[in-house]
Amino acid sequence: MEKRSPDWTDAMNLLTAHRQSRWTVKYAADRFFRFLCLGSVIFLGAVLGAIVLFVSETGFLVFRDVSLSEFFFSSHWDPEHGKYGAAVFIAGTLYLTLLTLLITTPISICVAVFIAEIAPPWLRQWLRTLLDLLVGIPSIVYGYLGATLLIPWIREHTGAPVGDGFLAAALVLSIMILPTITRITDDALCAVPNEWREANYALGGTTFQMIVRVVLPAAKSGIVAAVILGMARAIGETMAVVMVIGNVAQWGFDLVTPSSVLTSHIVMQILNVDFQSTTNHALYMMALLLLMISISLIMIIRRLRLKGGSS
Amino acid sequence: MKRTTLWKRMAAAVLSSALLIGAAFTTQYRADAAEVSGKIVIAGSTALLPLTQQAAKEFKKHHPKVKIVVSGSSSIAGPQSVAKGVATIGACDWDATRAVGGFRAYKGLKAYKIAKIPFAVIVNKNNSVNNLSVQQIQDIYEGKITNWKQVGGKDEEIVVINRAKGSGTRVNFEDKIMDGHAIKTSGDNYKEVQKSGDMVNAVSSNPNAIGFVDLAYVKGGIKAVSINGVKATTANAASGKYVFYGYGYLLTKGEAKGADKAFINYILSKKFQHGSLKKLKFIPVK
Repeated sequence: MEKRSPDWTDAMNLLTAHRQSRWTVKYAADRFFRFLCLGSVIFLGAVLGAIVLFVSETGFLVFRDVSLSEFFFSSHWDPEHGKYGAAVFIAGTLYLTLLTLLITTPISICVAVFIAEIAPPWLRQWLRTLLDLLVGIPSIVYGYLGATLLIPWIREHTGAPVGDGFLAAALVLSIMILPTITRITDDALCAVPNEWREANYALGGTTFQMIVRVVLPAAKSGIVAAVILGMARAIGETMAVVMVIGNVAQWGFDLVTPSSVLTSHIVMQILNVDFQSTTNHALYMMALLLLMISISLIMIIRRLRLKGGSS
Repeated sequence: MKRTTLWKRMAAAVLSSALLIGAAFTTQYRADAAEVSGKIVIAGSTALLPLTQQAAKEFKKHHPKVKIVVSGSSSIAGPQSVAKGVATIGACDWDATRAVGGFRAYKGLKAYKIAKIPFAVIVNKNNSVNNLSVQQIQDIYEGKITNWKQVGGKDEEIVVINRAKGSGTRVNFEDKIMDGHAIKTSGDNYKEVQKSGDMVNAVSSNPNAIGFVDLAYVKGGIKAVSINGVKATTANAASGKYVFYGYGYLLTKGEAKGADKAFINYILSKKFQHGSLKKLKFIPVK
């Protein structure tokens, strides 16, 4: 403790200058560190709380000018003429997420099963690295590929004049969240004890039976958590969606009619509105809805994790 | 030990403040002889961003005492930031002191017209249509004309592409071309894009699309159509024969003062208007 380089910080100088015993210094440092950590946690909590508070405070202002039922159940979005029906965006978000999961979940689970149970070890490592890399690609790149490759393809094969819509968005999102769901499912599968697999073989079961009857049911809660994490990513995704969905406030259930979702509409409009306008408040309300959806999803995940741990 | 450090610190403080004051006097003296100082914060339109950035770069050379921060997000951010006091100069694609395109008039701001911006109605390079009248463009955007056949092209459905509500380019399009006619904003042949670059991508990748952008963006897979038989060129826009153009504005809170005034004067100077501004494909207003 005595022999140290001379360039000590002022704080440590102060501490040593008081000629206290080693124990006190250590104790003070411990205390300091504890408060540092505690302070960080309080800071984080305050920031998160402030975000929720600010978004909801601004968002709820919309109900001064718009009725609750109009905002949630009307699909007439035309701020210029005082119509603030956000139903198209809310339904669009749910529809797009559902569609994406329908496409991705079976594929992801199959890929994960292949990686965890069937692939030879060298290929397994390669695939895992590849998937981890895919998670890191910025979403705007996926959006750009969607806009330049996928949309002309859709136009050609469906005869739609524009090509933008839920089909393009769901395909792009599926590719984006596939690595996420696959990797987490993969982890869940690997967590299943090997003895169980051996027991299956000992009883005369095939590999297929082992996967379907033993491993998948055993990893169920992990797989559900993976799907929900993928879902959270799909709901919040903005840049890729805005480039391929068409951004029109109209229903698009036929998959190839340009439509809009909460995220894409917020990002299209947020820079172009007056701070104090009802439109701005409506956009904040839509952001709050997204936040609520995300929070409830995360709570569901926590629930599942706890259950998985105790059983 | 404590006492010595205290003395050292005091001495250092005295010395440095003396130096600072001395420096302040000398710079003050020099500044009086030369020029303005202060801080300029520019916010607003992305269309005008290349212009304000270039002007800031040149202005700084002549006035090293002035600190300039330039940013661009959207046209409406220009007058809003100035009104809120966040920026000293707001850039906007329309005169925000009057109500335009669904936006309220910003009272108490002063608008300086700094450049003419030529716009273009664009179609895919492979489209055989080369000329549209203002009436035809209105009909297409209103949804009255829905097939290229009706304006002398192929028998294909027209895909109408629009910018998001509040875009400066869209405000000018509605002002100069639509002339009060409402754009039909629905249907499976209509979509909206976020930025000028997205507009170019959308039209160049769809053979039946129509859209509009700044003339400076016209290249690659798109072409500008003539309007009422007049070619879309900067020369025709400058003379006023070509009707699709707008003006770029800088806005200040009240009359521009000090550094802001010097900066606006620099942009309006003959040297900048006929030099850098022209090179960036804007049209001088002076």
